[in-house]
Amino acid sequence: MGNKELFAEMEQSIVNYDKDEAVRLAKMALQKGIDPAVAINEGFVKGIQAVGDLFGEGEIFLPELVMGAEAMAAATDILGEAIKKSGGKAKYLAKGIAGTVQGDIHEIGIRLVTTFLIANGFDITFLGTDVSTSLFVDKAKELKPDIILLSALLTTTMPNQKEVIDSLKEAGIRESVKVIVGGAPVSQDWADQIGADGYGQNAPAAVEAVKKLMGI
Amino acid sequence: MIKLEERKASIQPIKSKLKISILDDGDVKKINQTALNILEEVGVFFPSEKALRIFADAGANVDFDKKLVKIPGHMVTDYLKKASGRYTLAGRRPELDAKIGSNEGTYFYCSGEAPNVVDLETGARRRAVKSDVENMAKIADYFPIVSLVWPTVSSGDKGETAPIHGVEACFNSTEKHVQTESVMDEISAKYTIEMASVIAGGRDKLRERPIYSLLLCGVAPLSQDKGGIESALVFAEAGLPIGFMSMPTMGLTAPPYQAADLAIGLAEVLSGCVLIQIAYPGTPLFISIMPAIIDPRSGDYFFGSSFSQITSTAAVQLAHSNGLPITTQFSFGGSAFKLNSWQMGIENVYGHLLSVMAGADMSFGPSGMIEAVTLLDMARILFDREIFQAIDIITKGVEVSDRTLAFDMIREVGPRGMFLGQKRTAEELPKLWPPSILFEKSKVVGEKYRNAEEVAREAIDWVLKNHHPAPLDEKVQQELRRIVAAADRDENLKRELKGRK
Repeated sequence: MGNKELFAEMEQSIVNYDKDEAVRLAKMALQKGIDPAVAINEGFVKGIQAVGDLFGEGEIFLPELVMGAEAMAAATDILGEAIKKSGGKAKYLAKGIAGTVQGDIHEIGIRLVTTFLIANGFDITFLGTDVSTSLFVDKAKELKPDIILLSALLTTTMPNQKEVIDSLKEAGIRESVKVIVGGAPVSQDWADQIGADGYGQNAPAAVEAVKKLMGI
Repeated sequence: MIKLEERKASIQPIKSKLKISILDDGDVKKINQTALNILEEVGVFFPSEKALRIFADAGANVDFDKKLVKIPGHMVTDYLKKASGRYTLAGRRPELDAKIGSNEGTYFYCSGEAPNVVDLETGARRRAVKSDVENMAKIADYFPIVSLVWPTVSSGDKGETAPIHGVEACFNSTEKHVQTESVMDEISAKYTIEMASVIAGGRDKLRERPIYSLLLCGVAPLSQDKGGIESALVFAEAGLPIGFMSMPTMGLTAPPYQAADLAIGLAEVLSGCVLIQIAYPGTPLFISIMPAIIDPRSGDYFFGSSFSQITSTAAVQLAHSNGLPITTQFSFGGSAFKLNSWQMGIENVYGHLLSVMAGADMSFGPSGMIEAVTLLDMARILFDREIFQAIDIITKGVEVSDRTLAFDMIREVGPRGMFLGQKRTAEELPKLWPPSILFEKSKVVGEKYRNAEEVAREAIDWVLKNHHPAPLDEKVQQELRRIVAAADRDENLKRELKGRK
């Protein structure tokens, strides 16, 4: 199979939400000696963009988006490892870290946002739930993300979003990152009050907020 | 207009003459069995060493590393038998007691807790503060349709101890039974129970007449909250009633089917019930299963769908088949964003109508909520009152008797006659035109009735200015303030709430 056909099949595997096929094709690319970054950008990214377009047109809904993102993540996990080993860099729109703040174990919303962002070509590290402020700051220093996404579903844990922002300032890295907040009790007013850069009422709105902040 | 006059607090459950069942016996059996299978084979996540130890000591299958509990079916049924399904959620006076499980009808909550409120003066949205909790509890105290009171909004000006302040605000602002859903750690539980016991006159008296209770919401699917579970254990130790709620969302935290939503929700709530019955057998319990759907385009949580409403109603039979009382239905405004709108109506009428007819013991109801529990608009309670008035009328059905067939009147008035001038018509006609905010005559030319929203806001203003819930004794109020101040200073509590140990 020529490279062109392989890239087309990679694209199709994402459009078909076929995780197993995506993984098979990713491994095939490595066996054929294809540059993994090229495989991602010429094959799989085109697939996830097609899925994103269909979603935007209302042809498919969240379940398909999640399945497409999962297929994408499975392929990029394999290819991403190979890129790291070879010292290369995959092309992403931006890098981010995401999580639910300390004391809060709700994760469905932030996982959806993460899925959306990955589906839109972002490199997002999901830190999980009940993430301490210090871990957010440590990971920000380590990974140097462009964006940090903070979720809180309880009025009692919302203040930890402010705490993260304040801690980023104390660490001297606030200006190097955009902070987006979300969660059911969170509002634009709250985001403004605590000095966040953006707010997403729901997952698609969060992606738009991120794109706007990144100038994408 | 509704009659506004100062009066002592009273409660009015709605008892339906009309009865409905959503599930047949076979359905109930299948869903119950599926819930038991889930508990036995899939398990529930309990991130609490205390809870895991309780389950393990009682013979459940516990994986301490994964914090997963699998409960054999026989254990579930054996422990559920110990639960008390008939008890009182007490008010400060016996006339305000909600007699759960005694077939008195459905009792309604003024619940919450929203983070934001529509400001009464400016009409603008803002973050809620403690005085909003006090105001709404006062309003809830006034209207008989409310039997049970929560802090309706979060005391956003009180930081981490907002839940404790909310409970204090309610204790001071209503004589009705107070329940919390936000006291989610054992230290806060102890502080608020201490307040309740001061009001009751001691721990034993509180146990005898529980004026305070807890509703604990799990984290669907099949997960409990550490702080919440440990709070529940403190409530149970004090002999206070506890409710377990699940909010499984079809297609998100539950399979995309109503029956599966019920089964997974039931498993989640029963896991909490079993824990409490192992630790403190005989604790009064209730459950609540709140199905919802999401907007498949955005993931937005959608309260008001017909799927949710009928599924929540079906849960009544499941609860009763397990010997447990139930609280049904959102009335958190559904997902409508506008007060006094058609959407507000359809999202909030038939759910409660169905629940009352299905025999729900309690139902979330007149709470002032709109926008999926994120916004309190106090005037909303007047619209809810209209809905519940309609439900009360409808579920009373039609009274057929010699008096109401009125053959003697028909014979007397005869063909081409008029019934209007009859003495019995004078007595009965006003009952066919109950008080309403919808038909307040307008003085504006060309306008038949006044804007109902304006009428509702006037009513709220009147209640806030003129209704004075019986205050607690000054020494009791002082003691509550002392307890809350101690909570505010408690560094252990701050660490607990921030998630640090």
